[in-house]
Amino acid sequence: MYDDTDTHSQMPDRILKVNAYTTLDLVDASATGQEFEESAFAVCNVTSPRKHPDEITLELELDWTQLDALAPHADTLTLSPEEARKLAADLEKHADRVEAEQRD
Amino acid sequence: MPTDVERWKSEVYGNEIREHLLEFAEQGWDSIPEDERDAWFERFKWWGLYHQRNGQESYFMMRIGTPNGVLTPGQTEVVAEVADEYARGPAENPIFGNGYVDWTTRQSIQLHWIKLEDIPEIFDKLESVGLSTQQACGDSWRNIVGCPVAGKDKHEHVDALPVAMELNETFKGNDDHSNLPRKWKVSITGCREGCGQGDINDLALEPATKEIDGEETRGFNIRIGGGLSRNEPRFARDIDVFVTPEQAAEVSGAISALFRDNGDRDNRYNARIKFLMDEWGAEKFRDVLQEEYVDFELETAGDDLRSEYSYNSGYADGGHSDHVGIHEQADGNYYVGLDVLVGRMGVDDTKELARVADEYGSGEIRITQRQNVIITDVPEEKLDALQDEELLDHYSPDPHPFMRGSIACTGTEFCSLSIVETKNRQVRYARWLKENVELPAGVEDFHIHLSGCTASCAQPQIADISLRGMKTRKDGEPVEALDIGLGGGLGENPNFAEWVTQRVPVDEVPGAIKNLLANFEERREGDETFREFVARTDEEDLAELVEPEETSYEDPMMHNTKRTWYPYADDDSLDASPAPTRADGTPITSDD
Repeated sequence: MYDDTDTHSQMPDRILKVNAYTTLDLVDASATGQEFEESAFAVCNVTSPRKHPDEITLELELDWTQLDALAPHADTLTLSPEEARKLAADLEKHADRVEAEQRD
Repeated sequence: MPTDVERWKSEVYGNEIREHLLEFAEQGWDSIPEDERDAWFERFKWWGLYHQRNGQESYFMMRIGTPNGVLTPGQTEVVAEVADEYARGPAENPIFGNGYVDWTTRQSIQLHWIKLEDIPEIFDKLESVGLSTQQACGDSWRNIVGCPVAGKDKHEHVDALPVAMELNETFKGNDDHSNLPRKWKVSITGCREGCGQGDINDLALEPATKEIDGEETRGFNIRIGGGLSRNEPRFARDIDVFVTPEQAAEVSGAISALFRDNGDRDNRYNARIKFLMDEWGAEKFRDVLQEEYVDFELETAGDDLRSEYSYNSGYADGGHSDHVGIHEQADGNYYVGLDVLVGRMGVDDTKELARVADEYGSGEIRITQRQNVIITDVPEEKLDALQDEELLDHYSPDPHPFMRGSIACTGTEFCSLSIVETKNRQVRYARWLKENVELPAGVEDFHIHLSGCTASCAQPQIADISLRGMKTRKDGEPVEALDIGLGGGLGENPNFAEWVTQRVPVDEVPGAIKNLLANFEERREGDETFREFVARTDEEDLAELVEPEETSYEDPMMHNTKRTWYPYADDDSLDASPAPTRADGTPITSDD
């Protein structure tokens, strides 16, 4: 007799794995819609496939225990090297601005 | 194009790694070209060596595989001597000192702060008594686990120890099975309690009886595809196959070959056999096994003993939930299971353990999957004197439930993956809980497992309370935190913990457990166990019962321990690290 029952956990677990290689294991995040606005701690990770890397992914998962309107989920941006560099450059530029303000 | 790891493996892997390892050891740490370190560290795992984390360069963790957790007479003493001489680092652990042995959840042994240059001598010493680090890590047959009292247990269905040893001898160093797509964890047990924890292994052989040619034959049913890692836990699935003890090695080899040929070598995160089982299902798995890998007709599954499983089950249904305590063996002698809190024992205590085992038992030690040790073969008339030994004051056969139920992984002290401190923290938690929290009446087994990340090395999903490393912000500062899960366990019908609360600051976790247990006691129906209580309680209600709270417990390691070179060093900043160091421990500077 086969035992093919679904053995997944009933309640959601984190979708993204979290370890010392995770880009940000603690970051503030929010999600806004027409009829909801939610804030939560989140995990954010940047990675690329180990097998012939051809794209960059940026993943974001808000802690599901802090969400009311949204179902537990993770979002993924799939970036080309060009897009990733553009994003990185903008992040750098704005980091500089914020740091400059903080120094003043 | 394969992954980097697969490419490295295709160049040099398996037994041949040893000669390179010994050559590097001869020439010193600096002889490993910097751009080849990742490749060599990956390969060294096959010989039981993990390079320690950032800030601890040139130091290794060494894992010694002890099949079925058996240390034969004389071996424990050598392990203690090796730890004493070679497993001492540049800084001291405030609880365990400098020089200690870790008993692991896979019935193995881990030593830390091992220098590359010492490895040839260590191998010589270990091998002189039949110990080995071969395939203790890496993509191959890992240390085979099973009921730690196999062959001694009074009630066992089959003595699985000879089969475990046959599997070990057949598949250690076997070139046909040395390069698998990913790690290969095997459990075999013949006992009635479910001590092998087969459900969380890639390949599980579990006791069963099958009528063959009109005769009741004792042997094993086979399950495939269990494992806890990568936020994708699975329990092994029944593939409807029974094997006799004589067939076990052949069929296990066939399954390993099936995995070798069909596992995903393009994506390591999808490589474990549990994902192949997801894809194929049990029926196709059995068909492919029968048609392509086995020359005789496989028997269908026999009658199993799962309804009797008590081990780590969280149900009060007789049997035992661990191997702590004094139990009679089949031969009339006794085994004495000692509680080793978080599995770590100082070298002097380990030497004492070897002496005591020799004096009162046969000298044999067995390691359990709950990070504890067992002294076997103690005659009844020696039990009293054994219990008077000072060693048993510290490693009790009758410990408090919070001490007994604690398991912790290695954590940020040494591990590259972990994001929080674990072993010392779990010791502090257990001591505080023992002093400050009353367990509800009759609760003698209560398991709390602490894992430093989602890799799940402390098997958090199969505990009453599951703790897993995270970060949070408290009073504006980032601090170490834990996700909390509840109600996991094995037994006849295993289930994973429900993760109910995320990012509880580490100093509020003991208060959370205290409040949770008080809430359990208040709502408990009759003498139900905690696991039963969790199973019948709504998830939202469960989250509310946790109630994190500051208490008298203070946590000295709230800060980001992964950003230190060693969390317990006087100056713990990464800049203060002495690593990498030469064989004698002196720092190698960039001028060298």
